[in-house]
Amino acid sequence: MRCLHPFLPASQAVSCWEGVRYLSGQELTQSNKARVLLFIGERWSAFFLLLMLGVFSLTAPHFFAFKNFTNILYFSTLYVLLAAGETFVIITGGIDLSVGFVMGFVNVSAAIIMRNLHAAGQPPAVSMLIGAAAGLVLGVIPGLINGLLVARLRVPPFIATLGTYGIANGVALNLCEGFPIYFLPPRAREIGNSFLAYLIPGKSFSFFHRPQNLDAGDLRALTGILPATVIVTVVILIIFAFILGRTKFGRHTYAIGGSMDAAIRAGINVPGHLVRVYIISSMFAAVAGVLYVFRAGIGNFTTMSSSYELFAIAAVVIGGASLMGGKGKIGGTVVGILILMTLETGLNITGIPSFYRYIATGLILIAAVVVDQLTPEGRTLSA
Amino acid sequence: MKRMFGLVLFLVLIVALAGFAGASAEKEPGELTFAYMSGIADPFMFMIEKGAQAKADELGVKLMTAEYPKAWGPEHQVPILEAMVARGGFDFLIVVPTAIEALIVPLKKIHDRGIPMITTDTYLGDGDYSKESNYSFPLAYIGTDNELGGYEVGKRLADMIGKSGKVYINSTNPDVSSVMGRRDGFLRAMKEFPNIEVVGIDYNLDVQEKAQSQTAAVLQANPDLKGVFGTNLFSAQGAYRAVVNAGLTGAVKVASWDAGMDQINALKAGQIDFTLAQKPFEIGYLAVEWGYKYLTEGAEVPKKIVPGFFFFTQDNVDDPESQQYIYQ
Repeated sequence: MRCLHPFLPASQAVSCWEGVRYLSGQELTQSNKARVLLFIGERWSAFFLLLMLGVFSLTAPHFFAFKNFTNILYFSTLYVLLAAGETFVIITGGIDLSVGFVMGFVNVSAAIIMRNLHAAGQPPAVSMLIGAAAGLVLGVIPGLINGLLVARLRVPPFIATLGTYGIANGVALNLCEGFPIYFLPPRAREIGNSFLAYLIPGKSFSFFHRPQNLDAGDLRALTGILPATVIVTVVILIIFAFILGRTKFGRHTYAIGGSMDAAIRAGINVPGHLVRVYIISSMFAAVAGVLYVFRAGIGNFTTMSSSYELFAIAAVVIGGASLMGGKGKIGGTVVGILILMTLETGLNITGIPSFYRYIATGLILIAAVVVDQLTPEGRTLSA
Repeated sequence: MKRMFGLVLFLVLIVALAGFAGASAEKEPGELTFAYMSGIADPFMFMIEKGAQAKADELGVKLMTAEYPKAWGPEHQVPILEAMVARGGFDFLIVVPTAIEALIVPLKKIHDRGIPMITTDTYLGDGDYSKESNYSFPLAYIGTDNELGGYEVGKRLADMIGKSGKVYINSTNPDVSSVMGRRDGFLRAMKEFPNIEVVGIDYNLDVQEKAQSQTAAVLQANPDLKGVFGTNLFSAQGAYRAVVNAGLTGAVKVASWDAGMDQINALKAGQIDFTLAQKPFEIGYLAVEWGYKYLTEGAEVPKKIVPGFFFFTQDNVDDPESQQYIYQ
């Protein structure tokens, strides 16, 4: 665990670690074992991910395959976007329950606009661009409402975002009348399922263009390299990891979560900042919603049983954040999502019946966090 | 200031809610009014409403629709049902009970107030209202025979893959009678083919992305998989997308249930091999028809009415007479 000073960026928090080493230097030099444990303890979630990848690669047939790793990344994108937005909110000590339904609301809205423009005879590019842009703009609204409720009216984040959770769901269902939205430009699905490059081992390699008219054998062998949605997601994540880790905006986010009072006394515009943080969370959900339209080629509302928000929150916490605020990183959240997705895919590939998989998923996640608590971290030594 | 704002917000909410409530409870005197209580907000339930509305318009009676529950289950459905009963103003109830046990008491109360009812799509108890029991008070059950449908899907898929090889089921929930029936019927059909192996059953909780990732993982684990059965709209949409993305269209046969537009388009594109369409429109239509006959003529209603189903294949998907079975 990093010990964060409210006004120091995460990158400088390492100095605390140095301090820890200084304080307890004697024991550590005496025992390399403790040092290794400390090293692992501070990066436990990443180690756990590697451990899981290793175990599944050895035990599950066909797990260790390029296509499978591509699948894991492909299916992580929507979740990781929701979780990245959630990271900002959780660092401030809040929570955003609305992300899953905001995704569905934006998804349905963008799809309806694309469908209507397409039906009106607009060129596909125009329909898709306007639909996507409108979806992103609409995505600001729930975040703005959440932010104003939390920051200005002092509604607890859990209640405020539970309210928008219901509203976004209801609005989405009203817009689509409970049906998925069909008849979007076919190009949308092609783009959403495209890859940076295509490879048929030993035969052909091409950028952007999927080879056409393949026979069955080549079709099976065709390997896509880097899905388009993954590239978009990675670019967005890098930008926001930078904002969180290296900018004043990021420092203020940590400061608010560290101590709201201290942040106010330090002259930070806390209400204004919180509004922006909730808008960021909502925008991430909007991006996920738009990507989902491109991927599915239809507009889908979010079903009540999908629990996207719980997945997102779990990933943020597995990635090392604290629900009390003040702690967390985009990188950790990415690892958290990859752990959840690898676990699901890996257990699925091993062929364990689904009811046992639920138990295994629960046990492994609890075990991961328990081990995290037991391994030494900076916190335990500096406390 | 803040308190004032809160108060104003609260009042606005109350007025808005009252507006919604008032809109659906209107009733002219002397007219028969049917009420429809659905199970969850999804295309199938909306089709039942459409069918009921069509028959209601034909007969010149009113149909009021209760709020669609956002999720499946008595905890979501019963409060809506009770609010509707409290408002009153209907003579007949068409209901999709979301649990075989938990809905018996709330529905019995409505029955005891003198409001007859028909259960559609799902039923109470074991669905047999002809023998005396604590759940035999509804006039009839109108719905698809899911077990038989699953069995028919299984037989067709088995024929398509040459009666041997690996198949996989992607379903929604392990605790909902309709999809469980489809699964069980499918498994019963597979027992007749000793050379077919069912490699797994996954539950996607009605999330298409999850259906797709689960199917992708099964395709990864079983490169020789020959068939997939998606037991509803979202399951089938996710399953066929996974097959398409893996480049296995044609090599892996996709059997589907329900007939949303995306499934029909995929069928035309050869990405789904066949799909079973239920007749939700007919279910709603028949419910109003029989309810009307009962109320006006005192007609004897059959205890169980099964509208059957329709198989869309590549051969008949473009036929004009098939189009009525698409959910839209």
